[in-house]
Amino acid sequence: MNNPSASPQPSPEGKKGLSLMKGLKCRECGRIYDLAAIHVCDFCFGPLEVDYDYEAIGKILSRGEIEKGPNSLWRYKYLLPIKEEPTIGLHAGMTPLVRADRLGKALGLKNLYIKNDTVNHPTLSFKDRVVAVAINRARELGFRTVACASTGNLANSVSAHAASAGMDCYVFIPHDLEAGKVLGNLIYRPTVVSVKGNYDDVNRLCSEIGAEYPWAFVNINIRPYYAEGSKTMAFETAEQLGWRVPDQVVVPIASGSLLTKIWKGFQEFSSLGLVKRHPELRVNGAQAEGCSPVYQAFAAGRTQFIPVKPKTIAKSLAIGNPADGYYALDVIGKSRGQVEAASDPEIVNGMVLLAETEGIFAETAGGVTVACLKKRAEKGAIRPDDLTVAYITGNGLKTMEALTGYLPEPVGIDPNLASFQKIVHPS
Amino acid sequence: MTKLRFHMTFPEERVKEPILYEISQKFRVIPNIRRADVSDRSGWVELEMEGELKEIERAVQYLRQRGIHVDPLEKTILEG
Repeated sequence: MNNPSASPQPSPEGKKGLSLMKGLKCRECGRIYDLAAIHVCDFCFGPLEVDYDYEAIGKILSRGEIEKGPNSLWRYKYLLPIKEEPTIGLHAGMTPLVRADRLGKALGLKNLYIKNDTVNHPTLSFKDRVVAVAINRARELGFRTVACASTGNLANSVSAHAASAGMDCYVFIPHDLEAGKVLGNLIYRPTVVSVKGNYDDVNRLCSEIGAEYPWAFVNINIRPYYAEGSKTMAFETAEQLGWRVPDQVVVPIASGSLLTKIWKGFQEFSSLGLVKRHPELRVNGAQAEGCSPVYQAFAAGRTQFIPVKPKTIAKSLAIGNPADGYYALDVIGKSRGQVEAASDPEIVNGMVLLAETEGIFAETAGGVTVACLKKRAEKGAIRPDDLTVAYITGNGLKTMEALTGYLPEPVGIDPNLASFQKIVHPS
Repeated sequence: MTKLRFHMTFPEERVKEPILYEISQKFRVIPNIRRADVSDRSGWVELEMEGELKEIERAVQYLRQRGIHVDPLEKTILEG
C-alpha cells in the first residue's frame, strides 16, 4: 500500500490555458498544495479546496462575458477548476429555473422558483455538473481511467461521461444492489464491480483503491475539483433571476457538498460584483428522516455528527457519515438558515405535490426538498414574499419504485362508451 | 508495512476510555492522531494507522466491537 500522501499521479499537466487556479488550499490549516490529484492536507488531514486568483478573474469576468458564453455551465468556466477549454460534458447545466406559481400557491409562497435539474444532460441529475468538471480536470491531469462508488446518479453520470470521453471506467457497487440500478450503468459499458460486503466494506475498499491505483476517483482524489461543479447551481440561479441572489434557498443534503458550494457560488458572484451583496440570504438544508445526521446535529445544537445507518427511500441522499456535513452546518448557521427532515410518506407527498402543481417529476430527493420547503413555509420561516429557490436535483424516472403503493390505481372500464360514461364521466 | 487513514466517531460511553492506547497494546499497529475534536458527550478522531494490513484490520474490528464508528478518512464514499 502506498502512503496516501504520495497519491498516484499519472503524468505531468499539459500546457496552461485558462489557468485561474492558484493551488489547492487546506480548509482547516490553510496550507497550499500543487494542483494535483490530492484531496487531503498531509499535515492536518483537512479537506483541500481549489484556491482561485480572484483578482485575475475579476479583470476578465463580467455579466456580458458570461452572457456571451455557451448555454451550459461552461459559461462560468473562469470560476471552474479547469486550465484548458472543456471537451467533455459540454451540455451540462443551464437547466430551467421555473417560476412555480401553482406550487407556491399551495404553500402560501408568492415568489417561489424551482431549479430543475431533473432535465440536466446527459443523465438527468445534478451529478452531471460535478462529473463534467471532474472528467475534464481528470483528463488535464493525464488520467485515462475514472472511477466512483455509487448506487445511482453518480454512477450513471460517471459512466456516461467516461463513455463519451473514451476513458476506462470502474463503478463499485454493493453486491445486493437491485438489478434495475445496475442496468442503468451497464448500458454505458463501464466495468461494474460488485463488492461482496456491506456499504462500510465498499467505502473502505474504495478508499484503499483510490490511494493505490492511478485512477481519477471522482469523489476521492479528484474531489476538490469535482465539488466545484456544484457552484454552477448558484451561478445559474443568480443569472436566471436577472443577476439577483434569492432571499431563501432550500437544498437537499447528502454529503453536504452541494449546499456549501451553492453558498460559495453566491459569495463568489457577490465578491466579483456580478450581483449585489445580499446579507439576508438564508440557506436551508433538507434531509430524509431515515438518514439525517446533519438535521440531528443541528437540532441538538452540536457541531459533531453521529454517523447513521441510512434507512430511507431517498437513496440518493443516503449518506450516513457526510464528508462535508460540518461545513454544511457552518453555512446554515452563518446564513441563519435551518435544517428540516422529511419522513418517507412526506417525501412521496412532496414528489406528488411537485408533479401535480408544476408538472415536474422529481426523484425522491426532490420529494425531500419539497417536503422540507413546505415545513419551512408552514412555520412562517419562509415569508410569503421571500424570493425562494428550491433545488430539485434528479429525475423521478430513476426512483419509480418509491411510488409503489402510494398512487391511486387507474380507473378500469369496459371498452364501450356506456362504461366510460358510467364510471369515468357520469353526466 | 501499510498506512491507512481513518475517521473514528466515539459515542458518549466510550469518550473517557483510552481505546487508542489499547489498540496499540493489543495489536501491532501505530496510531498517529492528526486531527480530533473530543467533548464530554462525543468525539471524533482522524488518524493514520501503520502496521501489517491484517493487524490494522484486527484493530479496526476491535474498535467496531467496542462501539466506535470507523470510516475511511473520506467518510462515506458510496454515493447515490
